[in-house]
Amino acid sequence: MNPPDLLARCLGYLPQLLDGAITTLWLSAIAVACGFFAGIFIYMMSASKSRTLAAAARVYVSIFRGTPVLAQLLVFYYVPSGLGWAIPGVVAAAVGLSMNTAAYQSQILGTGFIAIPRGQIEAAQTFNLTRRQTLWHVEIPQVVALTLPALVSEMIDIVKASAVVSVIAVTDLMRVGQQLSSVSYRPLEVYTLAACFYLAITSLLSLAGRGIERRVARRA
Amino acid sequence: MSSLPILELRAVGKSYGANRVLKGIDLAVTRGEIVSLIGPSGSGKTTALRCMNFLEAYDEGEVWIKGQLLGYRSAGRSERDRDSEKSVAEVRRPVSMVFQQFNLWPHMTVLGNVAAPLVLSKKTTKADAHKQALAALTRVGLAGKADAYPTSLSGGQQQRVGIARALAIEPEVMLLDEPTSALDPELVEEVLSVIRSLAQDGMTMVMVTHEMSFAAKISDHVVFMEAGQIVEAGPPEQIFGNTRTPRLQQFLKPWFDRSLTSVAGVA
Amino acid sequence: MNSFLSLIPRFAEAILVTLEVSLLAAFIGALGGFALNALRLRFPRWLAGPYRVYVWLVRGTPYLSQLVIVYFGLPVIGITMTAVQATIVSLAFYSAAYFAEIFRAGWASIPRGHMEAARAFGISRWSAFRSIEMPQAIAFAIPLLANQTILVIKESAVASIITVPELTMTASDIVASTYTYIAPYAMLIVCYWLLTQCIAVAARWAQALITPSRKTS
Repeated sequence: MNPPDLLARCLGYLPQLLDGAITTLWLSAIAVACGFFAGIFIYMMSASKSRTLAAAARVYVSIFRGTPVLAQLLVFYYVPSGLGWAIPGVVAAAVGLSMNTAAYQSQILGTGFIAIPRGQIEAAQTFNLTRRQTLWHVEIPQVVALTLPALVSEMIDIVKASAVVSVIAVTDLMRVGQQLSSVSYRPLEVYTLAACFYLAITSLLSLAGRGIERRVARRA
Repeated sequence: MSSLPILELRAVGKSYGANRVLKGIDLAVTRGEIVSLIGPSGSGKTTALRCMNFLEAYDEGEVWIKGQLLGYRSAGRSERDRDSEKSVAEVRRPVSMVFQQFNLWPHMTVLGNVAAPLVLSKKTTKADAHKQALAALTRVGLAGKADAYPTSLSGGQQQRVGIARALAIEPEVMLLDEPTSALDPELVEEVLSVIRSLAQDGMTMVMVTHEMSFAAKISDHVVFMEAGQIVEAGPPEQIFGNTRTPRLQQFLKPWFDRSLTSVAGVA
Repeated sequence: MNSFLSLIPRFAEAILVTLEVSLLAAFIGALGGFALNALRLRFPRWLAGPYRVYVWLVRGTPYLSQLVIVYFGLPVIGITMTAVQATIVSLAFYSAAYFAEIFRAGWASIPRGHMEAARAFGISRWSAFRSIEMPQAIAFAIPLLANQTILVIKESAVASIITVPELTMTASDIVASTYTYIAPYAMLIVCYWLLTQCIAVAARWAQALITPSRKTS
């Protein structure tokens, strides 16, 4: 193994791996964003006075947290096509990842919602803020500030979990790695390089998270 | 001067399960009147106050605000007659509230707190809302703290912000739920003097309080409650100077013993 | 419904494979994590750095990428394994980092005062550890250890990619050969869900066993 050759080869893999990384990133971003709103919705269901809604929320969370992401993605990809409705892998991946993270985020955000003193909600009520206004202007800003560390952790988990979308025909970072390694017959180099990409993404997210945490803490 | 009450309670009752907390409260508040609710803990005075803006849903009787029934579509009072959120909001629009625990929103600046109800509920433009909010803050003496966050203020300042927030929407009735009970003694006076000046300007107020001298000095009407019922009600001269019921005399005894100035000469 | 029930035999076999692989990996990983943590405490200056790097690498990359490096990459430098071996090795290596962190937090959670009190009463270091620190650390750790085992079981699904005959692979096989999609995948979800719930229940039960004895002491 010749160091300059190795370096040249790695540089050769870079463009495609970069493409794959970008797919991984925007897929994860979509999942995080959709999961955030879906998570709030599921939390509200679990806290609702209706026993059916609360039970449905609990079942949802239990299933999505109690089964592997890969199994969930396979369901979202193959079951519709079995019923005659072919879904592109990317869509199934986005839907599956979003629904998965929504289950986790509902729990994370829930701890934030519970921490907000009831009096603040009553004040909002008194001044005739609608339920939605109270949620958006009074509760959510505080919930996000309170749960930021856990949310960043969850974001990192989503990026890692997204690696399995390679199985349902999405050209993410992992799939590019598989393609490159089968073409180059150098799996160790390629897969290690791909792993480094993931490491870079998760480490940057981690650092960014800690930076934001510090800024939010200074304000409090 | 019209003697039609701006806020009226007729035989209002409230139960929590088997526990009947309010047992038939009657109260009429006319415009410009200052009413104080006094009584021991658990007497239901805070619950009565919270029924006045439907923070608590009363289940007997009626609450009328400016001639409109609050919280229910008709005087039927079953769950099915509960009014929509929108209608309740409409009827209680002229009423605002000051809370014992201030209930400011910690992630907004002082100005943000005061302007929020204007922007979100009254749909005022941001620029106008800021102007009105600043005016309200000036009224309570805190214009300089507009950009501060509530956690950096003292208890007395936070409560004054709460009062500014209640003022900014230009209410016709202010409800005050033990506004000074959560304050350190040396901070109480700054809040009382703001309330006093609002009263002098003619604001209609219903206040639950333990500050007897203050209630005696500024009220037009004092209501003594115990165990969910009104035991005695009347002008301060009667309540504090010429008490009729023994129960009220017993309640006021510690205060009488403590106060050095004559109460009968309330003026 | 019939087609659903007829899948049970094959899935039962697959559950066994999943459990074998996962529990073995989790067990090795737990021992490894425990040992790692103990060594780290014993030789802080030598091992603190490498420990942090190891945890960073393992927790910063997807398990799938670690699995493919072990199964496809290592043969390049002469280390070949079967799919099952590669799965167990990589899963153990992966989970050991998480277990080590759990034990690290568990150790740190024990109030120092308890140990000092014991020493003041002349109780030897080892008995104090056994009767004071260990039960507390274990009671603290049980839910986290159970949770980590559940995570290992869920990660094992990834092994289907290198054709280990566990649950996910079995489901995909059935789908490919019978062209039915709903029953096999429904069964797949049910099986995993039952596995994870059983572990969660077992953990609660184990913790209930340990906690009352703490209250009486």
